[in-house]
Amino acid sequence: MNWESWVISTLNRALAHGTPLLWGTLGEIYAERAGVVNLGVEGMMILGAASAFAAAQFTGNPWLGILTGGVVGGMAALVHALFTVTLRANQYVSGLALTIFGLGLSGLLGARWVGVPLDNPLPKLTVPGLAQIPVLGPALFQRQSYLTYIGIFLAVVLWLVLYKSRWGISIRSVGESPATADALGVNVFLVRYLCVAFGGVLAGVAGGFLSVEYRPAWTEGMTAGMGWVVIALTIFAAWNPLRAVGGVLLFSGLYHLAFRLQGWFPPEFLKLMPYAFAILVLAIAGLRGARQLAPGALGIPYTRGEK
Amino acid sequence: MKKVILAVALLLVAGTLVAAEERIIAGFIYVGPIGDLGWTFAHNAAREKVDEEFDWLDTLYVEDVAEGEVGPVIDLLVDMGCNVIFTTSFGFMEETIEAAARHPDVIFGHCSGFMRAPNSMTYMADFYQVYYLTGLMAGALTQTDKIGYVAAFPIPEVKRHINAFTIGVREVNPDAEVHVRWIYSWYDPAAAKEATEALIAEGCDVFMFTEDSPTVVKVAAEHGFPSFSHYSPMLEFAPDYVVSGKLVHWDVIYRDFLVKVREGIYTTTNLEHVDYWWTLPQGAVELGADFGMPINPVWEDELKAYVIEHPVFGDINVYDLVFIRLSQIAVPGITFDPFQGPIYDRRGNLVVPEGMWLSYESLITMEWAADGVVGPWPGEPEG
Repeated sequence: MNWESWVISTLNRALAHGTPLLWGTLGEIYAERAGVVNLGVEGMMILGAASAFAAAQFTGNPWLGILTGGVVGGMAALVHALFTVTLRANQYVSGLALTIFGLGLSGLLGARWVGVPLDNPLPKLTVPGLAQIPVLGPALFQRQSYLTYIGIFLAVVLWLVLYKSRWGISIRSVGESPATADALGVNVFLVRYLCVAFGGVLAGVAGGFLSVEYRPAWTEGMTAGMGWVVIALTIFAAWNPLRAVGGVLLFSGLYHLAFRLQGWFPPEFLKLMPYAFAILVLAIAGLRGARQLAPGALGIPYTRGEK
Repeated sequence: MKKVILAVALLLVAGTLVAAEERIIAGFIYVGPIGDLGWTFAHNAAREKVDEEFDWLDTLYVEDVAEGEVGPVIDLLVDMGCNVIFTTSFGFMEETIEAAARHPDVIFGHCSGFMRAPNSMTYMADFYQVYYLTGLMAGALTQTDKIGYVAAFPIPEVKRHINAFTIGVREVNPDAEVHVRWIYSWYDPAAAKEATEALIAEGCDVFMFTEDSPTVVKVAAEHGFPSFSHYSPMLEFAPDYVVSGKLVHWDVIYRDFLVKVREGIYTTTNLEHVDYWWTLPQGAVELGADFGMPINPVWEDELKAYVIEHPVFGDINVYDLVFIRLSQIAVPGITFDPFQGPIYDRRGNLVVPEGMWLSYESLITMEWAADGVVGPWPGEPEG
């Protein structure tokens, strides 16, 4: 077995498997940067997957499917925003409820699509020219998804917005100290609503990617825990969109390698490897004071006039 | 987290005042969602079929029940009037037996286990013969002599299937290897996809799997490689690449059992030794890319072109060999079994002596790996 095959397959699969994780993580980063934890990622993803599949099949246009997935994910997130921002419900409970609700509703509504192949899945992309580069060409530019490249581009844009723009300052200040932000004239509720909804849109697109491109098919419960990996990756990335790209590629690369290495290492150990690695990095980050990296008001509902 | 959907409407027995004890109300408890296109999907399709067939039968079901939580669900179904209850996951076994003791007037059926009680039988539609038949085809179709196998859990049931498959592969192609990757889940499309991609990167060009979604079929077809349906017909997902497959007919077992309960042959006191271990001869499973299509016509020529010198049948092409073996296995009074000795495991031990077949006990407790299996094999016997 030559080393090129290992590099190519690992990078290529890291990008493909990592795409829904990246979209989901970028969305969750924005929600949490505004101070709202949303454990409903799994639910929003699966609702996005079901609706994207249905829309793609119905219209024959996979991009309309992806769009629908995003809209439905955003709408699901608005429910979470209503409960946690306006009604000040416990964010963890509301998010969990959203996940359970999403898994159930998508199963119910998606029943008629089970076992139906998608007629027009999202096409794969081979970048002309770049795909000819030795090793890196087949690894990065062959049989990839448009959404992979858009996702990475989005990460850069979201990083710029978060750290280099007025909007970013507003978002971060709402997540750090909503009372201060409020006093400075930032509309805390609006920012939180927008960030949570934006996170839902991205989670919905991630789900749409799964059902319209990655599989492409619909079966009940098909996100199979990816939403929870997103929650972990959000912390792993220290709420930074650029770090999210690195974290996702690392996780998904290990995920793929776990299967290739089964010939040499015990599979039980390999199955755990990506998750164990994530925990290890979190632990190290914790020792080095990562808690300070978390938005200060994360998980706390904001009430005007209270400190 | 579990979602409980009860088909309560079915209880609205329309205007019939037939004595209650003459009706059978059968409750089905599933471990997964009915929309998985795999195990639970197949059980539920069978439930719908028998429910429609018999006017003396009503059915209810509960899906997504976690192993370890089945006891209360059984009690609930009994409260709702069920007099027959099927639990369809290996992990429901102990709790089903406990519930059978708690409800001596209710008849139980537990799928894929080995514990019984006077009012609790066991049943299973097993695929090992069909795995062997698909192995014959896979052995003929591989160009690289590497066949990829995406497997769920390293338990005897899956090992039996991989071994039967590998024995088929080796019968027509002694050089071929079956490369196994474990995903540790019955249903995880992403893991199945990445495991398949890993096997492709290592040169495999024909694919078999034990996972409850058509993922492996899709990924293989995307790369232009053949594969086989698992559990449900998956031909539609890759019409040019699904060669054949393993299909299940749970309704055959449910029909037989429920009719016998209705006729009073099976009661709450005589199920201690009732075990349906039904395979090809009883029609509980089928060889096919789709129902009624044992081999996809697209692949007929290639299989006919692969001629081997067979120790029993002489010069024969694999297409004909599959149907000869099928005719030997699929009739009552079968004359061939995939596990027909002599068979050596991959460590060189004689596991089935010359001229012998394996007993049922040996089949359901199988831990060894057949010669030709490559890859990790947790629980492999030493020696």
